[in-house]
Amino acid sequence: MNKKSLRLFSAEVAMGVGSLFFVIPCLLLVLAAFKPDSEIVKFQGFLPKQWTLANFQEVLGNPEEIPLLRWLFNSITISVSTATLVLTVSSLAAWSMARLRLPGKPIVYGIVLATLMVPGQILLVPIYLLLNTLGWLDTPLALIVPAAGGAFGVFMLHQFFIGIPKDLEEAAALDGCSRISTFMNVIVPLSRAPMATLFIFTFVGSWNDFLGPLVFLDSLERYTLPVGIALFQTSYFTEYGLTLAASLLCTLPTFIAFMIFQRQLISGMAASGLKE
Amino acid sequence: MKPRASGWMFAAPYLTLFTAFVIGPLIFGFALSLFRWELLSNVKPTFVGFENYVEAYRDPYVHQALGATLRFVWMAVPATILLALVIATGLNAVAGKRQGFWRACIYVPHLLTVSVASILWRWFYNKEFGILNALLRPIGIEIPWLSDPAWAMPAIVLMTLWWTLGGPSVILLSGLQNIPVSYLEAASLDGATPVQRYFRIILPLMRPVLLFVTVMHVIGGFQVFGQVYMITRGGPELSTRSLVQYIYETAFNNYRMGYAAALSWILFAVIALFTLVQFRLMREDRS
Repeated sequence: MNKKSLRLFSAEVAMGVGSLFFVIPCLLLVLAAFKPDSEIVKFQGFLPKQWTLANFQEVLGNPEEIPLLRWLFNSITISVSTATLVLTVSSLAAWSMARLRLPGKPIVYGIVLATLMVPGQILLVPIYLLLNTLGWLDTPLALIVPAAGGAFGVFMLHQFFIGIPKDLEEAAALDGCSRISTFMNVIVPLSRAPMATLFIFTFVGSWNDFLGPLVFLDSLERYTLPVGIALFQTSYFTEYGLTLAASLLCTLPTFIAFMIFQRQLISGMAASGLKE
Repeated sequence: MKPRASGWMFAAPYLTLFTAFVIGPLIFGFALSLFRWELLSNVKPTFVGFENYVEAYRDPYVHQALGATLRFVWMAVPATILLALVIATGLNAVAGKRQGFWRACIYVPHLLTVSVASILWRWFYNKEFGILNALLRPIGIEIPWLSDPAWAMPAIVLMTLWWTLGGPSVILLSGLQNIPVSYLEAASLDGATPVQRYFRIILPLMRPVLLFVTVMHVIGGFQVFGQVYMITRGGPELSTRSLVQYIYETAFNNYRMGYAAALSWILFAVIALFTLVQFRLMREDRS
């Protein structure tokens, strides 16, 4: 074995050992969901001695008390709507600020950028009171609409748009395209990658949001998955089998989506660190 | 295209939402912090000036929550950066297709949403039947993970590392991959050892990415809430209650909106201060 392949081999071994720390807890979740409670509350080895589907049957067979599919539906609706709304309003705003010559633009864009530093929690109390006045508390609107005011999407797309050569748009304008059709037919097709990244980021952020739904939602059938699952800890405290089976079920969609969009998600995230 | 105010039309939907849900609440929130504003009570909101801030300054629970938050940041952030750098270096050494596989393995925990990850680790940490103590018992160790104030915060940090390391590892990996191979080859020709290359060439070139990741994690660390709320509810003896949890409880359990708003501005000030210091340190370092 030469020096180079030795180094490669040892790196692989190190990664293999290291990744056990990350993978084993996930496997334990999967395996525990198939264990009867008696094996969960007393450690008897990694594999179930007696495989059972009882946990899943109980979790899915009780939609009155555990509306898991309802929560899944809520999570999907809210995350898709949020990501769509953010992408729409942010891309139009970013493009007009990057391209059109607008009076007062530097000041407005400066203010938008400055709010990137503001942590979300600082807005929690005033937004709660605002949503209360609007009568939006305990509705999906409470989570969807305020998210679209965020500056990240505008910043990210603005950075991308200023890099697109102007000639293309000028040519489209000469051909008689209106501004909006220039945007739709020239800019959008060129910006698929950053737009997909923004959509995925916003979707994931909304899907995993915990504090928002905890504060703004109130009724069981309106919950999203993260707060719904959190409820297990108080209501089904002693029934670990149920809780873990529900946890596994609610991770499945994310896992499947990750397998499909892995490359896009990771390359988008990697790029976010190289902007500086 | 001609400079025309009508171009603002395209930005109008965003700017309306931005005004209504960012700028407005920011101003309203600051005003709120100057009021005694209690929801669900008959007392009308009254202007009290900076009284809420004075109260926060004297409130022992604020000191406790700030202490717990600082402890979390202090334990979690350096460990995150160091381990992520190690993982990224390891991933970078593995070539081709296999790299994607290991990268996915390390990223997988982050697919669990915070409540699921927390429930899982609460089960691991259970003193009587948790797997960690089940594995440690044969060698005569039993750790009161979540019931002892000395262990609770480290337990939360360990879970957080497991849950979040994938993100910074991927970012640092792409930083490593962006280093031109020619630099490293030139150094090798000049007789640099691998260790010298790592510390003299790779790390200095990685500084911007490292700064970015560190700042993001410090900011995120100060905002820790979900896993603390789910794993310990801030206990035992409030030893893990973070600032965000205290704000949450002040606003939505005790309905003291004015005080909670003041506490949020204090959190913002702390985060801004730390971010500024980090940028200053890096800049001085450079010159």
